[in-house]
Formats: sequence, structure tokens, C-alpha cells
Amino acid sequence: MRLLALDEMAEAAGLRAGQGLAEARAICPNLIVIEEDAAADRRLLEALADWCDRFTPLVGLDGADGLFLDITGCTHLFGGEAAMLQEILTRLTQMGLAVRGAISSAPGLCRALARFDGNRIVAEGEEEAALAPLPVAALRLDDTLVQALHTLGLRQVGDLVEAPRAPLARRFGTELMLRLDQATGADEEPISPRRPVAHLSAERRLVEPIRAEDDILALAATVAEGLKPGLEARGAGGRVFELVLFRVDGHVFRLSAGASRPLRDPPRIAKLFAERLKGLHDELDAGFGFEILRINVLQHEAFDSAQGDFEGDDRRRLSLSDFIDQVSARLGPEGLQTCQLRESHVPERAVRMRPALEQAPARIPLPEAAPLGVTVSRAERPLRLFARPEPLETFAVEVPDGPPMRFRWRRLTHRVLRAEGPERLSAEWWLDGEEALTRDYFRLESDSGQRFWVYRQGLYDEVAHPRWFMHGIFA
Amino acid sequence: MAHAALAQERVFALRETIARLEGRPLPEQAAAEAGLLAEQLAGQLAEQLADLEDGGVAARRRAGEARLATGVEAFDQALDGGLPLDAITEIRSLGFRHAGAASGLALALAALLQATEEKRAREPAPFLWIGDRMGGGEAGLPYAPGLKAFGLDIRRFFQALPQRLEDALWLAEAALQSGLFAATLLEVRGNPPAFGLTESRRLSLRAKAAGRPLLLLRQAGEEEASSAAFRLLAEPAPALARRLPDGSMLGGSIGHPVFRLTLEKSRNPAPLSLFLEWNPHDRRFLALDPARQAQAFEPKAAHSGAALSAPSDRPDPAPALGAVLAFERAFERAS
Repeated sequence: MRLLALDEMAEAAGLRAGQGLAEARAICPNLIVIEEDAAADRRLLEALADWCDRFTPLVGLDGADGLFLDITGCTHLFGGEAAMLQEILTRLTQMGLAVRGAISSAPGLCRALARFDGNRIVAEGEEEAALAPLPVAALRLDDTLVQALHTLGLRQVGDLVEAPRAPLARRFGTELMLRLDQATGADEEPISPRRPVAHLSAERRLVEPIRAEDDILALAATVAEGLKPGLEARGAGGRVFELVLFRVDGHVFRLSAGASRPLRDPPRIAKLFAERLKGLHDELDAGFGFEILRINVLQHEAFDSAQGDFEGDDRRRLSLSDFIDQVSARLGPEGLQTCQLRESHVPERAVRMRPALEQAPARIPLPEAAPLGVTVSRAERPLRLFARPEPLETFAVEVPDGPPMRFRWRRLTHRVLRAEGPERLSAEWWLDGEEALTRDYFRLESDSGQRFWVYRQGLYDEVAHPRWFMHGIFA
Repeated sequence: MAHAALAQERVFALRETIARLEGRPLPEQAAAEAGLLAEQLAGQLAEQLADLEDGGVAARRRAGEARLATGVEAFDQALDGGLPLDAITEIRSLGFRHAGAASGLALALAALLQATEEKRAREPAPFLWIGDRMGGGEAGLPYAPGLKAFGLDIRRFFQALPQRLEDALWLAEAALQSGLFAATLLEVRGNPPAFGLTESRRLSLRAKAAGRPLLLLRQAGEEEASSAAFRLLAEPAPALARRLPDGSMLGGSIGHPVFRLTLEKSRNPAPLSLFLEWNPHDRRFLALDPARQAQAFEPKAAHSGAALSAPSDRPDPAPALGAVLAFERAFERAS
């Protein structure tokens, strides 16, 4: 076991990272050792990245202990670069973290400065000067390369910058030159943000944190006002919205809600979240309150402002999509489903349930007596179908193509009085393969008047002992 | 004469009580205050008495209660004119083995409601099924091609399977409130404690306000006090054979579905039991001859021996004192 990270007191005692635990204990007998929990470290870093969303939407992770913030165009909101850096560092320090940060034009340089220098801001054009005194390890090189450079006496980045490039590249490979160029800003290096950037977003920062659900919703409506001009300028309405709540202690909640048609109206947008909040119940712990509230538009679509007719007939249709929005916001998109018929003669494939949100009736106007577009079997189909056919025990089956005289299902024996069938459905070989068994469906009526839909899996010349299944019930 | 006057007074008092219970204004009092002539009042009362005698059908019709006639006269009369369009109608099955009959009856009523609404609005009428997850496992999920074959329009068929009963109740309430759905069907398993008289009253008020019906499908449930206007018990019954074009029957075939239906709760004191056949093509109910049905298909006991006699060493339990006002909650009775 080895030490991975130390606090200041341990460093003062002369311990260093990479030391064996036994050796460290010999130096400092009252050492407190905590086992590494990489997942927890990761969670902390992600939570910090979430927290940093308040400064810029573009936050990327750097290894296990660093964050990249792309603050292009954001600095004026926080009073300039120096003030912004100061604020970020102060607030993170107040949380009990030891942090260092730097602002510059290249991510590589920021990393080198933050880890090997101090809290600095490097202006455009001063990159090489800032980099020169740093050790070569600051360039994100692997250890063997650093060792090789050290043996040649190249200890500082400045030595590399001044040296001729061709021999260096020949001797140490292109990796070194790439890292050097990235650090000086000569080579563009993108940072990969954790989340997709919202098309539009509006937020409100609060002096006094809010806790109550009503306050959050009222504020959401006013914040959504801020989205309206942006949506209008694009001629669009939002389909998927995200409400981001920054709690005072740094926790960030994200609630997303979809609408069945493009929305622009602030109260409607707020209403989406009203149902979402109700659906959450206790999961949203307000703690000491939320200090920032932001609404992002994650997806938008062209907003066709349709003119209403004189009869007010379209109001009905609109409110159906409102209802779908309301239910889908509270119970999730799967909460309300519509059926979609498909071209298949296998009963369970003939229909698929899809979220109602996806095929909102308002967006697909139904013509008068619209055909379903799919050929539906004219044969008798049950009212209720089992998701998984249930095995049956059958007695006195007519061989080869007849129904059973009696069968046992769910521990009850049913005597069959009448039967209709078989309806022979062969498997879809293009999906199920050539080996799939044919099914013979029967409609049975028992002596108590119950009507069942059962099938025999496989013909007698396909399998020696075909099995029987209950697939549905009729009225 | 004196006897008639007494009876009239008694009827008046009863009407007053009923009106007070139902929260309706008292037209008689208002008329009296306006100073109407005594003869007119007497005439009105006589008319109302006549109404009361024939089951109050005419009175309710005049009151403007929205009803949907099912087309079966005996059934409609027992339902005071038809299926209420602004109230809860409960359909109960004895167990999940009868789920097919109960769902069939509920869906047949939904198909009637939907057809009427479509004729009125001239566009596909939405219809919502709020299912129970366990019920879906026990009796299967609604199958769209089957619903279509059963006479429903599935272009605007919505299905929801909420995780919790509270969500299902909320959804039913929201659906009623929106007034969008020609029929809302709520499937409940048994008699859950979270769905009692208060909740059903709430749904019933919503239904009344929006003028939309709620069909409550209670699978494997017991009778209990609820705010439903009617409660029907649905049991399976053997179907007739398929009819051939020349009017004869095709032997050995299974024709249109038949339900055995018992009206358990209604304003009509006489219990009603009838066999209904549902014709999915015409979307029409047809009453079958109960005597013939009962004779032909009475389920026979597995053992032909006589039923066991009652134990003689224990006294008969004393009957409950006083008038039974309402059923207790089913789960309390069971414990």
C-alpha cells in the first residue's frame, strides 16, 4: 500500500506521495490513513463541475482533480477576469477545498500554471514568458520522457522553447512538440464540456435563497420571460426545457420537462415544471434554499403560430396536447402512451405503445376518418393480451390440429365447451430465424363462459411435444 | 280523500328530504312563496307523485341529467334513462378470472360513449385507460387490435399505467377535469385503503363539474360505499353461436360476447340481473332471454352431492341492529 495524497501536516512531517505505508508509519506513527475511493473522488469532482456551471455552461473535467472552465464571453458578467478568478477561488476555498487557478488563452498553459505556479492571469502574447520558468513536467508528459529530458539538462520549459524544434522532435517524438505547442497556444486544443450547451438559457441570481415550491414556480415564470425574445428571434418554440436549481451548499438539481408542441409562453413553461415538481415529492430537498435558478432550452423546433378559426375548434385540440404535457411532466414521458399499429401478423408485434408526447395529435392533424395506415388482421383478437404468454397444462388434445378438451391455467382446471381455430401464424423468419416454431391459435370458451386465446407452439411435425400457452382473454 | 292527502304530504316531505340530501333547490317552496294558486300547486304535486311512482324517470329527464341510452329497455329503465354522462359508474368483477367479462362490459360502454361523442364532434374522440400494473400482469394489457375489433376507435386511445394508486387517481381527476375524454376508464385492483369514499366523492364531483363519465373497473373487489351512481357486477356468460346470413346459427362457433350483469347499486330497489350481448360491429347491446340462458348454461357443481348442512352447535349470528346505512370499508370488514 502506498500513499497517494497528503495534507499539509503530513507534508510537513516529511512524508511524500508514492511512499510505502509501512515506511510512512515508521516516520509518523500517529498517521491517519484513509483508503482511496476513486468513485467518491469522481463524484465530488462532478458535483464541483455542476457547481461551476454557474460561471459558464462549458465546464470540462481535467483528469481526476482538475476542471477546465471555458469563460470566453463570460468574464464581464463577473467584473473582469481578475475578479472572476478571485470569486471562484474564494468561494471554493470557503467550501474547504484547497484550490489554485489560472486564466490564459490555452488550456494547456492554464493547467501548467495552476499546478506548477500560482493563481495567475496571463494575457495574450505573454504565454512563452509565463511558461519559460516552469519545470518540463508541467507539460503533461509521461514520466520516462521527463526523465530523458532531465538527463539532457533540459529542466525548464524555457530550455525547450529556445532549442531548435527539428532535433527535439526527431529525438523525443511528436508528443513533446504537440504538448509544447498546446501550452504556448500555438496549437488549438478543445476542451470537451460535460453537458451539451443549451440553445438558450435564462437565469436569475438571488440574494435571499428561496425554498418554497410556489416561489420557485413564480420565479420560473419570470425567468422564462427572458427566454421569449430569444425564441421569437429564432422563430422557434422550446420542446425540451431544463430547470437548473443551484442550492446554497453547492448541490445542483436538474429537472427536465418536455412539451408535446413548441412552447414560448412563460406561464406554460412554468406549468411544465409545476407538474414535474409535484411528481418529485420529497426527492427535491431544498435544504437552506436555492440561490440561482436557470431555465435552459435543450431542444427547440419551428413555432408555427396558427391562426385560430371562428368556431374555436382548435382550442380543443390544443388542450389535448396540454393534457399530454401535464401528464408527461408529472409521470414521465412513459406515463401516458398511445398505440402505434405495425405491419406484423405476430400478435405481440402488431402494436407498439409509444409515449404520447412523441406523437402529439396537435402536430399531426388527423384527416377525417384517417386510415390507420396498417392492415389490421380481420381475425378475432383478444381484448387483453398478456405481456408474456403463460404456459398451460393441457389434457386430451385433439391430434394433430385440434384444441384441448380441458386445460389447467393458474391452478384452475377449465373444461372447454366450444373452440374455434386453429388460426395458424408462422413465425417471421426474417426476424426470428428459420428455426422459429409455428403457432396455432385457438379461441376457447370454458363451461363458465370465459373466453380465452391460447396457442400451441409448434406443429407436431416440428416438435415432438408442443407446448401450450395462454396469450390473451376475450370479453 | 284524507288518505290521499296524507300520502301526498308524506311524498312531499320525502321529496324535500331527497332534495336537501342532493343539494337541489326546492321548487315547491319557491313556488309557494311566489304565491301560486293552491290548485296549481296541487296539480304540480300530483304530477310529481306520478313521476315518483314511475321511478322518477321523467323528473330526472326534466332536470336535465345527461344520460346515454344503452338501447336495452330494461337496463335503461333501471339506470333511470341510461348511462350517466356526468358520474362514476362502477363495474365490479368477483375475481381476476372474470376480468375478461368486466373489462369487456366497461369497454363496450366506453365504445358506446365514444361513438356518441364522435357523432357529435365529428372527429375521433379520445379515450383513456388508466390501468393497474398488477392488474396488467394478472389479466393482460389492453390490446389495440382487439379493442378495434371490439368497436372502439383506437386513433385516440391513450393508456397509462401509473406506479402508484395516488398517481392513478390524480390522472383520473386530471382527465375528468380536462373534459377531453369521451370515456375515462380507471382500473383498480380490489378495495385499496387509499381509494375510499372521500376519493370517490372527489372524482364524482369532478365528473359532475366537467360533465364527463368515469368508468371505474374494480377487479376482484367487494361491494363498498362509494360515490358511484351505479354499480354493476359483471360475470362471464356463454356466448351464442355465430349467426349466419339466413338467420340460422353456425353450430359450435363462438359468437358475440355475452355478459351476465347484476345491478348492485341504483335508485331502483329491485335487483336486476340480465344477460347482455355486445355486437361490436353495430356497437349495440342486445338483451338475451335470461330464462333460456340460465337454463342452458347454469354452471354445474363439480360434485352432485347435497350441500353440507349448517353446523348445529353454534348459534346463528345476530343480525345487525338498526338500519344499514352504507357498507363499511371492505378491508375493515375482512379483518
